Amino acid sequence: MNLFDFFTDPVLRAPTWGTLLMCIASSLMGVLLFLKKRTLLAESLSHATYPGVVIGVSLFALLFPHHEEKSFIAVLLGAFLSSLAALKAIEWLQSKGKVSSDAALCFILSLFFGAGIVASSAMQSSLPTWHKQIQMLLFGQAATMTDLHIALYGSLAFAISLFLALLFRPLQGALFDRDYAASTGIRVALLERIVFWLLLLSIIVGIRSVGVVLISGMVIAPAVAARQWTDQLKPMFFFAAFFGCLSGLVGNILSVQGSIFLSTETEKMILPTGPMIVLVGAAIALLSLLFAPKRGLLFRLFRIGAFHLRCLEENLLKGIWKKGPLTFENLRQTFRIPPFPLYFALQRLLREGWLMRDQKTYSLTLDGSQKASSIVRLHRLWELYLAETLKLQVEKVHKTAEEMEHILTPDIEERLTRLLSNPKQDPHQQPIPQRPQPL
Amino acid sequence: MSPYWGANFFEFFYILIVRIAHWNFSTLATDEVQIGVLGAVAVSCALLGPFLVLKRMAMFANSLSHTILLGIAGAVLLLGGTAMFDLSHLLLGALIAAIATAFFTEGLIKVFRLQEDASIGLVFTSLFALGIVLVTLYTRDLHLGIESVMGNADALMPSDLRLAATLMLINGCAIFLFFRHFQLASFDKSLAQTLGLRGGLFHFLLLFLAAATCIGAFRAVGVLLVLAFLVGPYLTARLFCHRLKYLLLWSALLGIGASLFGVALARHLLSVYDLPLSTGGIVACSIGLFYLIALAIRKIYLFTLARRCAIVNGA
Amino acid sequence: MKYAAMEAESLNINHGKTPVLWDLSFIVPKGLLVGIIGPNGAGKSTLLKAALGLVKPLSGKIDLLGESATKVRGRVAYVPQRESVDWDFPITAEEVVMMGRYGRLGLFGRLRKADREAAAAALELVGMSAFADRQIGQLSGGQQQRLFIARALVQSADLFLLDEPFAGVDLGTEKSIITLLKNQRDEGKTVFVVHHDLPTVEEYFDWVILLNTRLIACGPVSEVLTQENLSAAFGKSQSLFNEAAALSLKSKTGII
Repeated sequence: MNLFDFFTDPVLRAPTWGTLLMCIASSLMGVLLFLKKRTLLAESLSHATYPGVVIGVSLFALLFPHHEEKSFIAVLLGAFLSSLAALKAIEWLQSKGKVSSDAALCFILSLFFGAGIVASSAMQSSLPTWHKQIQMLLFGQAATMTDLHIALYGSLAFAISLFLALLFRPLQGALFDRDYAASTGIRVALLERIVFWLLLLSIIVGIRSVGVVLISGMVIAPAVAARQWTDQLKPMFFFAAFFGCLSGLVGNILSVQGSIFLSTETEKMILPTGPMIVLVGAAIALLSLLFAPKRGLLFRLFRIGAFHLRCLEENLLKGIWKKGPLTFENLRQTFRIPPFPLYFALQRLLREGWLMRDQKTYSLTLDGSQKASSIVRLHRLWELYLAETLKLQVEKVHKTAEEMEHILTPDIEERLTRLLSNPKQDPHQQPIPQRPQPL
Repeated sequence: MSPYWGANFFEFFYILIVRIAHWNFSTLATDEVQIGVLGAVAVSCALLGPFLVLKRMAMFANSLSHTILLGIAGAVLLLGGTAMFDLSHLLLGALIAAIATAFFTEGLIKVFRLQEDASIGLVFTSLFALGIVLVTLYTRDLHLGIESVMGNADALMPSDLRLAATLMLINGCAIFLFFRHFQLASFDKSLAQTLGLRGGLFHFLLLFLAAATCIGAFRAVGVLLVLAFLVGPYLTARLFCHRLKYLLLWSALLGIGASLFGVALARHLLSVYDLPLSTGGIVACSIGLFYLIALAIRKIYLFTLARRCAIVNGA
Repeated sequence: MKYAAMEAESLNINHGKTPVLWDLSFIVPKGLLVGIIGPNGAGKSTLLKAALGLVKPLSGKIDLLGESATKVRGRVAYVPQRESVDWDFPITAEEVVMMGRYGRLGLFGRLRKADREAAAAALELVGMSAFADRQIGQLSGGQQQRLFIARALVQSADLFLLDEPFAGVDLGTEKSIITLLKNQRDEGKTVFVVHHDLPTVEEYFDWVILLNTRLIACGPVSEVLTQENLSAAFGKSQSLFNEAAALSLKSKTGII
């Protein structure tokens, strides 16, 4: 089978579309939790759905024993009610009970799950076939979803997205600065209520595909990944939804293929979807943490390296400006750096037209000369600023200026010039190179 | 045939007391094994739990309780053996889990500059997912995965009792020897550092012991109910006590009490209503029940105190 | 230098994305009551933490009593800001003071009678004997502050570092604390106090470190508290400096 089959084949399409849509819902809510630094709330709430699910399905089995395909309604309702109860309990513990947030989350998580296990054990003996269904909810099992599921979960995911789209402006305000938002008339308390209800909704939607135990992974991982690619809220939602969607899709495919691979003729093996989806999601998050431009680790390391290289180059230009044309050996001895970085820097300077080479001697081009003098200008301006305006000791100013000359922007240079009234001499009585005059 | 077969709640305690009085423990009944294991787990958790909560590490403990699955899988792969394992498997697994969790979480926070809650969440969900996949592939059976989450207190054996008791002893010794260090590390990290007491060392020791306790308990109650033992009794005791040493004691007593109550209740439900329920789950719910009872007692006490003050003040 | 109580050399520290201390260099001799003054966010608390080795500098160093923090552990006492304490912690006043003696007990040591008596004496000195058995959350602001000073006293240190000890404390407690500190100074100890109240600086301290991310001045009170220095510390002329320092930090850590 190929990829297309997953979307169209009557058996495969429901799980595929289903997991896809479910993961979108949880990823979107994950963004909100992430920004509020409360991602672990999802962990607690998801485990708290368990007793509700078990009791709900048990009641359903007793009342409507022949409508097994519709049992997911009981699942959703039961999950919603018990996680709502858990939410209230957590809030009470934190406010009235004076319990720290992590202890409250932990306590409620274990208590509710314990109650769920008790209920589950009761169910195991009296309603064994239904019990097996519940077990699937622990780690997720998408394979038995039908088109009805696609419709339901799809519309729930759509509802969540719609809410977020409609409430975007007030949400953004409340997330960033709750008190200020409240003072401008945004009804912050109501907003938070709505967000929590949507969160519960997204969790109960997600537990079918990812499972009770691991759904918090799908709340956290896409948000973490999304943050790496953007600094704004709206794109963050889109990125999170995309990554969630991708995790759901790939994870589901992997679990289906994996199950086929593991099954033998006699023994049917099911590799649950939950762990696969979470692993894919975590992998995406890790790759984003490493490779995203701007915030990714590798890019940060690269930028630090590039900065040091630029400092070296500018120091080289300065050195030749002060001392006149120098050979490779001179430079190596003056700057005391190993030959390879020196060579690399010099080649770059040559290629970019700041330096020219004649036999063994490096000298400045006209552009290079201007650049060097502007760096020296920054250095001496800064020294003057420190000594005159901030009254620092004159002996100390040189060292910091050595660093700052590579960092000061043209804007700061402009302000310095004005502040110091276009000075001509630095604290060491050396002349400050003037700005190049436009021709 | 268990001596407790057919007993209801009160008969259970009667039989237990009689058996203790006669001290004929040549063969332990399953219920007694359960009480023993759960009680030992409760004591271990009572010794560690308060420090974890005070250090705001409860969710980190949750993290640990998930990653131990990977630790166990790792230990089994490295040392060989099956689901029945001994102390060496346990300690190695705990070490792997503690190191992996601490290392990756701190790595995310420090190197990748990710916020703390997301770091914790990302690490334990992915490591747990990995553990599930490995266990499923290795044993070709999801059952171990499910069992690790739920535990199976109803299949305990005397060997489990020995294991739990050993762990209890280890935890007891550690806390007895190093109480001051744990207290200081929980209360005032900077003082610990300025005094030169290795706050970092004891922090990791606490993690390691917590991981070991989780592994030791997971056959009995599963990874998630250990959290109930770690956090619940402490929160209950904190309602009426504020001295750390006594809190450890009360937490242990409450934990043992919940174990006794839970096992008795489970037997009662089986005998009287023919309902074979999960003992571990019932014990966890008992912990919750004790908290509610303590809360109610406290409210009543404060209420009567207020009324008495009002009367005294001539209201 | 061995005769200095505190010595900093080109100390550079940042916290997250902002530079907190910039190229700090100064020497403070022993046996003085020193005030650390500056506007909010000037880096005063960070200076203490760096001296204690609790915060790692980006570059440069800072020594206490001629050595780095790890080598003078037993001789330095730290009184942190009240807001950094967990007042819900199940611990009594007496137990807090006894914590001051943990440093000399090593890994396996037990608290002895001598330790208990030292704790009782310290509580007596700060006037807190009656509250020995109270849980710390039940104490008032002034009592909490005095408690932590008692803990510092029990350490028998040569050098004290106090972070805003007078914040939210009543005048009576403030007076009694400053008397205590002056007594310690008279006994030859050196005391550093992060202080936020300018009018009282001259009355309380012998020596002042005036800073605002960078060092403005360090020396005897009369020399440092000049109009020029104060306007340099509390005035607005260093916004350019702060901006440039922030830029520098970004380049060094590769963050955009």
